[in-house]
Amino acid sequence: MKRRGLLRWTLAVLAVTGALLPAGCAREGGSGEYPSKPVTIVVPYAPGGGGDTFTRAVAAQAADILGVKVFVENRTGGGGTIGVGSVARAAADGYTLAFVSTSPVVMAPNFLDVPYDPLEDFTYLARFVVSVHPVLVGGESPFDSFPAVLEFARANPGRLRWSTAGINGAPHVATLAAFRQEGVEATFVPMQGSSEVLAGLLGGTIDLGVISDYSGALAAGDVRVLAEIGPEPIPGLPAVPTYEQLGYPLAPAIFFGLAGPAELPRDVVARWDDAIRTITASAAFSDIAERLNGNVAYLGHEEFERHVRADIAAARRTLRTLGSGD
Amino acid sequence: MENVLEGISLALNFNALAGILLGIVLGQILGSIPGLTAAMAVALLVPFSFYFDPWVGIPMMLAMFKGSLFGSSIPAILLRTPGTPAAAATVIDGNPLARRGKGGKAMHTVLFASVFGDSFSDIVLIFGAGALAAVAIRFGPSEYAILVFFALLSLISLHRGSAWKGIAAISAGVLLACIGLDPITGAPRLTFGNAELFDGIGLIPMLIGFLAISEVFRQLEQPVRLLGERALAFSSRREDNRLSGKERLSLLPTLLRSSAIGTATGALPGLGSTVAAFIAYNEARRTAAKPEQFGKGSLHGIAAPEAANNAVGGANLIPLLAFGIPGDVAAALILGALLIQGITPGPVAFRDNPAPIYAIFVAMLLANLVNYLVGLGFIPLAKKMVSLPKRLLFPAVLVLASAGAYAMRGSLFDVQLMFVFGLVGWLMAKYRFPSVLLLIGFILTPILERSIRQTLILVEAADGWFAFVASRPVLMILLGVLAILTAIVVRQRLMMKRYGLPKGPA
Repeated sequence: MKRRGLLRWTLAVLAVTGALLPAGCAREGGSGEYPSKPVTIVVPYAPGGGGDTFTRAVAAQAADILGVKVFVENRTGGGGTIGVGSVARAAADGYTLAFVSTSPVVMAPNFLDVPYDPLEDFTYLARFVVSVHPVLVGGESPFDSFPAVLEFARANPGRLRWSTAGINGAPHVATLAAFRQEGVEATFVPMQGSSEVLAGLLGGTIDLGVISDYSGALAAGDVRVLAEIGPEPIPGLPAVPTYEQLGYPLAPAIFFGLAGPAELPRDVVARWDDAIRTITASAAFSDIAERLNGNVAYLGHEEFERHVRADIAAARRTLRTLGSGD
Repeated sequence: MENVLEGISLALNFNALAGILLGIVLGQILGSIPGLTAAMAVALLVPFSFYFDPWVGIPMMLAMFKGSLFGSSIPAILLRTPGTPAAAATVIDGNPLARRGKGGKAMHTVLFASVFGDSFSDIVLIFGAGALAAVAIRFGPSEYAILVFFALLSLISLHRGSAWKGIAAISAGVLLACIGLDPITGAPRLTFGNAELFDGIGLIPMLIGFLAISEVFRQLEQPVRLLGERALAFSSRREDNRLSGKERLSLLPTLLRSSAIGTATGALPGLGSTVAAFIAYNEARRTAAKPEQFGKGSLHGIAAPEAANNAVGGANLIPLLAFGIPGDVAAALILGALLIQGITPGPVAFRDNPAPIYAIFVAMLLANLVNYLVGLGFIPLAKKMVSLPKRLLFPAVLVLASAGAYAMRGSLFDVQLMFVFGLVGWLMAKYRFPSVLLLIGFILTPILERSIRQTLILVEAADGWFAFVASRPVLMILLGVLAILTAIVVRQRLMMKRYGLPKGPA
């Protein structure tokens, strides 16, 4: 026990020291097998959210597998589009990668002038998780089911107040599409980040919230789950209906994955695809996923790329018929 | 009680103590490097929290946070370069005191105030989290709007010069804060098609530009023969290098008031330690016996923002432990680490498995002690590092500042912005425009704008203004307080006019 403790400490001190040295210092000869120097994964959000925590877990395990340091860098802004865009323009050598998810890749380009083309500018390496985004109400809310919410909103146009973690993100767009189909007119209150939405639900500022970071409040009974916006039921809550079951036009499986700039070398793609497959198969990763409300959902390079293309096409089609986006 | 004892025994083992020490030392060093915010420092430790027990990994992260808030004030005092935005208000009195040779005293004041603020908010967190959180959760957009508006009004009194210059500076800050994506519609505003501006102007390049770079420009105006001088001389008198017991005692009211301000600010997610520091500074000056000393190196002016910004740290965990809502980025990182450890923060954690939470509490208090002791060792080191001639020190500041502006987003654009702000700040100081007001306008506008616009949307979803206000008891109380305060001020002014009493501090 004592000796293991000491070993852990040595590792910890070494790793912190290593993390503080700029990545460039470790540059070794350019030749040889990939990877020969540290890899940076850009997370386009502030540290601390679900995507960030997942990426840090993946990076920690990938470092062991690949034998080099894997840094996580938070490059925030523009709802995730700035960080992702910076990776699109990075050198296609596999040393700068991005954490990608549905909002910046599939949704944002329909609403914003983003600095990248999600179809042309990326190599999608692998998907590791599909995240759960439930529709929540406060613990004392009078609504006990999603139909009850819709009924209230139909009878009282504009009175239902709801929010999501970001404007024009997947939860926002999908729920808006659901409301349109149901003929519901509700008031969207723009908020920043899931903690503001959660506070709004608990404090009675809003009636409905669609967010992914909610475990503490759910365990305490401060919120209740009425629906799930993705296609798959929430683990442990099979009775909660999904947007797909309810027949709504958009039921996005919100993916968490890794991507690099376009035309990454084959060996880079293969190395990361393998690494993610190994990581997602590990018990440690399933534990983390369960605790962070995500479903482990490995998808290899080719399949992930096909999936992203299909998602983009579907979102564009739906948004056009709904008359939003361009 | 059993759980408390178990918690204490968990916290008092070698690994936990080593974690705290490592966190504090790294935190103080990283905090003193401009551009690395406390949250970024904490993020570096997230992977370790995967491998250690929660009562080792989490205190290490908290210790890092506490250490970095102290560390960030050191360059603020010695080099006018706040290590993190939270130390910006510390520059106002800390730097003048250091220039009088009393840098040692200034740093000891910071250390004492930081540890005081930390301990205060930790104790409130441990004994009063539930009650405070229950009040704080009732604060929605309308309540935030009133609070921030009130803060903005009172902070205007930081400026004692020409009124129109003050208005010009604060308006410029408000205008600069409007750059970026519209917080409600998501449409780009004043970005001129530049994607770098989508997220608005960064606070760090702005602070470093206005505070540090403008000072470098000012030094360039000095005659060349002075450049060989040391930038900062430290008096060798013992009295100038320590904080006496009497001074500590006299700071106590300021420390208590500022810690309370910081704790309240921290319990309300989204306001942040920079805002708390400025409000506490202003309050300390407003209630001071000798307000004329503020801005020239008042110990109260150093202690107030430092106690407040540290108090925010502990208080940010109040909504986290009560409801699972993280108060800021650092708390969000701690939430992630707790979840990975299988601890779901919230009342359930206290019911089901409280020992680790108590262990974390004990470790937080221990971390404050360690922060104080390590800080005592850090102060002489810091003195040595800045005892360089100006011609060496200021170029070094330039490099450090550029790296700091770059590090936040990895953007050269931010470095360019920093230099532009440096130039503007230098010109503003030359023509006596208060750049502090510009910074305050810039910091408060996003929260103010968002909460006002959210309120307007919420009012539309209610039965008009009356029904909206009637449905929010906290809003009614705040409006009542605001009305009474306004009445008092108006009455005072009328009395002054009638009886020609001397004007008090405006």
